[in-house]
Amino acid sequence: MTRPGFVLEVDERTPPLLVHEGEGFRLQRFPLGTRVVYPPDPLRRIKDVRGAIRHALAEPHDAEPLADLLKPGMKLTVAFDDISLPLPPMRAPDIRQLVLEEVIELAARKGVEDVKLVVATSLHRRMTADEIKHAVGERVYRSFYPRDLTNHDAEDHANLTLVGTTDKGEDVEINTRAAQSDLIVYVNINLVAMDGGHKSVPVGLASYRGVRPHHNVSTMLHSKSYMDPRPGHSAIHDSCARMGKLLKDNGVRIFTIETTLNNQVFPEPFGFMNKREWEWSVKDQATYLAAKKANDMAPSKLRHQVWMRIESPYGVTGVNAGDTEAVHERTLARLHQQQLTEVNGQSDIMVVGLPYVGPYNVNSIMNPILVHCLGLGYLFNMYRNKPVVRPGGAMIMFHPVPWEFHQVHHPSYVDFFEEVLSETTDPSTIESKYEQQYAADPWYVHLYRKSHAYHGVHPFYMWYWGAHALDYLGDVIVVGGNPKSCDRLGYRAASSFRDALEMAGETVGRSPSITYLHVPPLTIADVR
Amino acid sequence: MAPKKRSFADEVRNVAEGFRWGRRPAVPRNAESHTPPPERWAFPTDWARTEAGRAARDAILLLVMKPLVWNETSPEVFGLDNLEGMRPPVMFISNHSSHLDATLILTTLPPTWRNKTATAAAKDYFFDVWWRSAFTALVYGGFPIERGGGERATDKAKDLIRDGWNLIVFPEGTRSPDGWVQRFRHGSARLAVEMDMPVVPIAIVGAYAAMPKGRFWPMPGRPPIRVRYGLPLHPRPDETHQALSLRMQQSIAELFDEDRTSWWEARRRAERGETPKLAGPAGARWRRTWEGSRPIRRSGEPPAWR
Repeated sequence: MTRPGFVLEVDERTPPLLVHEGEGFRLQRFPLGTRVVYPPDPLRRIKDVRGAIRHALAEPHDAEPLADLLKPGMKLTVAFDDISLPLPPMRAPDIRQLVLEEVIELAARKGVEDVKLVVATSLHRRMTADEIKHAVGERVYRSFYPRDLTNHDAEDHANLTLVGTTDKGEDVEINTRAAQSDLIVYVNINLVAMDGGHKSVPVGLASYRGVRPHHNVSTMLHSKSYMDPRPGHSAIHDSCARMGKLLKDNGVRIFTIETTLNNQVFPEPFGFMNKREWEWSVKDQATYLAAKKANDMAPSKLRHQVWMRIESPYGVTGVNAGDTEAVHERTLARLHQQQLTEVNGQSDIMVVGLPYVGPYNVNSIMNPILVHCLGLGYLFNMYRNKPVVRPGGAMIMFHPVPWEFHQVHHPSYVDFFEEVLSETTDPSTIESKYEQQYAADPWYVHLYRKSHAYHGVHPFYMWYWGAHALDYLGDVIVVGGNPKSCDRLGYRAASSFRDALEMAGETVGRSPSITYLHVPPLTIADVR
Repeated sequence: MAPKKRSFADEVRNVAEGFRWGRRPAVPRNAESHTPPPERWAFPTDWARTEAGRAARDAILLLVMKPLVWNETSPEVFGLDNLEGMRPPVMFISNHSSHLDATLILTTLPPTWRNKTATAAAKDYFFDVWWRSAFTALVYGGFPIERGGGERATDKAKDLIRDGWNLIVFPEGTRSPDGWVQRFRHGSARLAVEMDMPVVPIAIVGAYAAMPKGRFWPMPGRPPIRVRYGLPLHPRPDETHQALSLRMQQSIAELFDEDRTSWWEARRRAERGETPKLAGPAGARWRRTWEGSRPIRRSGEPPAWR
């Protein structure tokens, strides 16, 4: 059994702790008494992954074996998660490749001719050929790309089908090919509890019309948290579940394959980043110093390239296949085993170091809006039951928040940052006043469809992701953040952690309790 | 205001202080039960037992350590004649109440014996950081031994005995907290039985009063210390290590008795089974420490002018 998660209480013996800050990192001393939440150690990897996949396909949960579902003359669509998973990208062979090869092998053996592969990009950018090749492997790529392996297009109205509307008035519009297939096989990587389940097909293969019912401020404010998909806890998951049910009721047959990975995030020589600091060897300490020096000295472009080339040596910890709900239940259990750490009570201040990569800046730039999404959207929500920080508390993040955008990937982000956020940071106002305009802008639609741009509405969703945190927190302070960018986001910038604590004192008092969520590797605080 | 970048020197200082370079690594208190024991890596010590290592040790012991200890304390040595006629390897065992003990034994042993003697030192204390490991290996011919025992704890000791090395072992396992002799652990007796090697008991009297646990320099006033070598004990055929361990404790108790009274009186008491125990007085802890730290009498007549 691997070591469970752990909450450290900083004492005088505690060494300085590693804190990520974008494309950089530091060792930071924390005040005595600070609680530090560490994830469980990496779960043991499955040695025979192909064997586990074959077993999952042959003995699925609440479904017939995949081989029995495949028949000559049928229409088979295989959809799989896009570049936003896992983070950082997985060292080859990617788990999607291994699963796809087994599925396609079965299809070939069963005489299925009409097979299409779709990257479930939803409103994300189209993956490039190289990125697809890395995800699916050379054999699948050579056999299917580009004719039968395509990115989903949420703006190709000729190829979108309105399957129906839920009892809550949510339109379920998905990729026509998928909707008309005899079977959809969805291949998922479940990195966090938010992923997978009914969020795969109804969102991954949806149009803007199909995404809008749950990607909105009201839903976000009632999702406490996104990482807790139990019914009644997360409005977004409840909505997705309704959509999933509607698809099922309308005869859309989905065979879900979900996989979980352990939290072996950083490869050597960055292995020290996976360890608890007091367990660092002398070699780890020397590596830290060398890496820190090299990273600080490197020109920003080179530094960016080095970080973006990191491929994680994840181990596969679980493969489950079958009915979406039955599969997802098992997936979540495995995921929680890897990520859940019990924390007693809330604190006045929550501290996080934001890493260099989030779901939407793989091979790209983490612009200020993505910083907002990663910090207040994802990391704030890495909890079950209640947030790590008390209502009205402060959140301190470490990140340089550079005023920098990827012009190809994030064109609408630039305008959103310049035009919308300069007017207001209130999510509801932004939604009602600006969303439609950006969502329907023909230039953004063109760039989404023909270039590699995120959909025009995507920066809005990034802002909504943080709506719950914005509503909940009393103060957001960014250590080392660009003051102009922070000001635009409605944050405050501090030059040092000590200054940030001083500033937070105005909100939470002079002797605050502090909890540092030590990520990555990711951990979900189960706050009691 | 742009954040001030920390210089590399500051970064190194931060790491050095935070990770306690040169000091014993520490685990945060509430992480102790969640932290696995460090890897069983053994600091290499064979280099300290080479010809060059031994020459260096002799030079350090005789030119630095002995003058230092002899200047700060007043050691006297008795019973070295008990080593006559013996051949290595033997195991020197002693009560252990001070950091002076190993130095006192090594600097009082005849050169031919010292030259082939190594000291068993607790791995968790003497081999925790590189400089302490190097010092222990070089100056004491030290080699790491696991206090907790275990199957592999004595592997290195056995190798050394097979190579003809004498060992200095403190069967108590750690320094006495109050000056009185603690219970002997059986590891040393088991080793002696397994390797069928003689055991030479040594009583070090007064070292606790001179430099107790917690001090790193002797008390002022050149406190007296007496080092008494006893008659070697040979494991008897079919003797268990528990029985040998008892004999070892008894022999050291007799040496203490001899120091307090005389050889003749100590022998008679031993025959009657009345040798005073070394466990110290029962009762409050302070009483044990108080009695244990009582300075021992100086040998000989007091000077006329005092």
